[in-house]
Amino acid sequence: MKASHEVLIVDDNPADVTLTREALAGSAHMSQISNVQDGVEALAFLYRLGNYTQAPRPDLVILDLNLPKRGGLSVLAAMKAAPELRRIPVVIFSTSQLSQDIARSYELGANCYVSKPGNLKDFFSTMKSIEQFWFGSATLPPRGEQIKP
Amino acid sequence: MNSNEVEILLVDDSQDDVDLTLHALRAENLANRVFIARDGEEALDFLFCTGPHAGRSFENPPKLVLLDLKMPKVDGMEVLKQVKSDPRTRSIPVVLMTSSKEERDMVSGYNLGVNSYLQKPVDFDQFRKMVKLIGLYWLVTNQPSVNAGGTAQLAKHTQ
Amino acid sequence: MSSSAVKLGIENTAGPKPKLRALLVEDNALDAELVLRELRKKSFDVSAVIVQDEAGFAEALRTHLPEVVLADYNLPNWKGMEVLNALRRQNLDIPMILVSGALGDVTAVECIKQGVTDYVLKDSLARLPEVVRRALQEKYERSLRQQAEKDLAKKVDELARSNADLEQFAYIASHDLQEPLRMVAAYTQLLSERYRGKLDENADKFIGYASEGALRMQVLIQDLLAFSRVGRASASYTSVDCNAVVEEVRKTLGPAIQESGAVMSHADLPTVWADRTQMTQVFQNLTGNAIKFRGEKPLIVSIKAEKGGEDWLFSVTDNGIGISPEFAENIFVVFQRLHTRTEYPGNGIGLAICKKIIERSGGRIWVESQAGSGSTFKFTLPLLEPAVKEAMRP
Repeated sequence: MKASHEVLIVDDNPADVTLTREALAGSAHMSQISNVQDGVEALAFLYRLGNYTQAPRPDLVILDLNLPKRGGLSVLAAMKAAPELRRIPVVIFSTSQLSQDIARSYELGANCYVSKPGNLKDFFSTMKSIEQFWFGSATLPPRGEQIKP
Repeated sequence: MNSNEVEILLVDDSQDDVDLTLHALRAENLANRVFIARDGEEALDFLFCTGPHAGRSFENPPKLVLLDLKMPKVDGMEVLKQVKSDPRTRSIPVVLMTSSKEERDMVSGYNLGVNSYLQKPVDFDQFRKMVKLIGLYWLVTNQPSVNAGGTAQLAKHTQ
Repeated sequence: MSSSAVKLGIENTAGPKPKLRALLVEDNALDAELVLRELRKKSFDVSAVIVQDEAGFAEALRTHLPEVVLADYNLPNWKGMEVLNALRRQNLDIPMILVSGALGDVTAVECIKQGVTDYVLKDSLARLPEVVRRALQEKYERSLRQQAEKDLAKKVDELARSNADLEQFAYIASHDLQEPLRMVAAYTQLLSERYRGKLDENADKFIGYASEGALRMQVLIQDLLAFSRVGRASASYTSVDCNAVVEEVRKTLGPAIQESGAVMSHADLPTVWADRTQMTQVFQNLTGNAIKFRGEKPLIVSIKAEKGGEDWLFSVTDNGIGISPEFAENIFVVFQRLHTRTEYPGNGIGLAICKKIIERSGGRIWVESQAGSGSTFKFTLPLLEPAVKEAMRP
């Protein structure tokens, strides 16, 4: 599949965002990466408000939990409650290993929970696994207006 | 195998597909804790600990449910709906894996909260590759909700 | 107060008599007079209040705060034993001495059983001063003991809190340190990969050192976290079948066992009262060490347990490189290592964790070994039934 995928990374740590970009740059699938740094910006991007009226609809959202202004879980809850956003797969990508964070993420409808690895090799192989699965195997929901089920 | 130690619940009425899937999982050493349900009813009994599976506990869910769509008795969409609407089972990762090409099905699936939706490749080899990626992603990369990974965390600490 | 009275081992005929505040419950003025005279004769400088009923008693308690109560057994309005109850109701630990006419032995013993400090018959008043003195002495010793207990409780409390603080500090330090460290580790590694051979030769070396340092620090912090977690996490004690635990360890260490060609065996092991995860950690660390520190000979690891008096004695024996006895205690200290990192990997925290776990479970751990001839790690754990009984105590 040569079509490019739209990825929204919600993470306030520029170092991690850069690492993710680096990791995805080396992949077989092309992706366009957008980044927002807090929960409020994330929802603005997804609803195409304010500065984001031209923002692309993401095919995949990679969501950190620890965010300023509005936390990851809150963003997740909002996304999964909104009919036009809930189908977008959300990968929680966080350093938190707390079972309550993991449990809550699943309860709120996160598609999966991936722990941010501590070393480079694992970070890259984890990113590779994510993009191989979501861009290589899974069928992603259509980007356009929702099809009435 | 104790039914409380199942890691993958494979729900599919096609013997060929089940064989292929097991074969692919075996190659990744992931096959030893797979339970096979032949239809939606059996899948629901398993996940909700009823009927022949009344001895199971909600505390030990599988790490992954691989769910086909078209099945007798109760179909995949119905299983998905029930699993995702009950707080006791909602957090179990469910991956729909179907030969259906209907976009409608895919949209419904994601609307109901399926964790992922995949279309079974016709090609034998592609099918195997897909199962391998599914296994690696959902059993290794992904962290499931319940702390069934307790021992796994322990293993990391012993250098 | 009456400490001066107490310090009198003998009657003090010279010098000032110790003060004594007494409360007499007596309706017969003559009897009261006799009692006071006896006390004042050689022994005490008594300031007394005399009452005849409950109301008077209550009032006197409040205003006079006596050090001793002397009561007649048989008063018209109020029984002597009720004086005792009155004192008890107000939680007052004041010695009470019955001063009475004829009192059968049975009654006397009954009274003392019920809490009366002593009794003196009215026709043997000469005994009274000594009885009072003894009562005051006992009271004094009792109060010393109570104070000591209170001090101890306070110290235990402080110690517990200090421990909790330390553990929390270790946890927070390790936890919060991980984030910036992750950045350093990842980016030094990235630098190392991207720019190898592209900068001057020193750059490769420098970046390499930084990268290794960061990686090592990550492992150190994870180990420290694991160590501090032993105290923090509320261990959940249940009956743990050690055979099952060892089997699980065998599975987890499967690849390492296979690679080293080790033979691991265990005798029939008991069920103990412990935290299952922690017991797994202990067996895993000990077995892992045996595998790591194996010698030239094919490795044999055997685990067994024998019943001692009050404990189980577990042994994990290997035929590896062994440990010189002078280091036998050292190896259980956090981060203590006996070999360089190039000889054997690891941070030296495994045994420290084992020690912490075993000691928290009420046991001891030690090693018996000689350099070159293998090691036996031994640890004790309390027997199951008494431990369960202790744990079930409210």
